[in-house]
Amino acid sequence: MAEDKAAAILAALGGQDNIVEIEPCITRLRCELQDGAKVDEAALKTAGAHGVMRQGTVVQVVVGPEADTIAEDIEELL
Amino acid sequence: MSVQVLSPVTGLAAPISEVPDPVFSQAMVGPGVAVKPEGGAARAVAPVAGTLSTLHPHAFVVTTDDGGRAVLVHLGIDTVKLEGAGFTLHVAKGDRVRAGQEIVTWNPSEVEQQGYSSVCPVVALEVGRQALSDVTDDAGVSAGDPLFTVDS
Repeated sequence: MAEDKAAAILAALGGQDNIVEIEPCITRLRCELQDGAKVDEAALKTAGAHGVMRQGTVVQVVVGPEADTIAEDIEELL
Repeated sequence: MSVQVLSPVTGLAAPISEVPDPVFSQAMVGPGVAVKPEGGAARAVAPVAGTLSTLHPHAFVVTTDDGGRAVLVHLGIDTVKLEGAGFTLHVAKGDRVRAGQEIVTWNPSEVEQQGYSSVCPVVALEVGRQALSDVTDDAGVSAGDPLFTVDS
C-alpha cells in the first residue's frame, strides 16, 4: 500500500529518470527534477498529495506527516 | 477528549495565514497558529505530551499517547536549508516528552540574519479547521502558554 503510493508519486513526477533528488521535510517532498514540465499534478493529487508547488525544476509535493516514509519508499524504487 | 496545545516558543502569536509558505498559510497539512519568536537565544518546547514521532533540528512532530493527534512545530521557514546549523537538540526521535519539555535550543535572530523567516508554524496535522478552539493568534505568549485546543 505504502509502496504503491510511492510508485504512484514517482510516476507522476515523470519517473525515475526525471528525478535528480528527493528530500523529505516533515510534511512535503522537495523534488529536484530534470524537467519540471513532466510533472502530472492531477496524478499527484490522486496519489494522495494535499498540494503541489512548482518552481521550475523544483517541485514540492505536500504529502503530510508521512513524507519521510514516502521518501524512503521512493528511494528504494530509484 | 481534547488536547491543549502549548506555544513552543516565546513571542507573538499570529494567524497562520501570515506565514510566508503556502503549505502552512493555506493549511495544507492542517490548521494551526503561527508564533513570531522574540530575538536572541531561545528554547523550543513540546506543544503537547506524547512521543517525538519526527525530529529534525529545525522541526518536530509530537504524537499524543492515544495516537489521536499529532502537532508539528516548524522553527522558521525553509530552515531545512540550514542543515541543522544553529539548532541544538536535547531529545531523540522516539522519546516520550512532557508538554513544555525543552526540545531544541536555537536563535531566531541568527535565522533571520541568514535570510530566513523565523516564524514558527504550530500545526495540528490532518484535522479540519473546525477541530481548533480557544485559539490565541493576536497576543504575546511565553513558551508553554496555551495556544489552542484540538478536539479529538
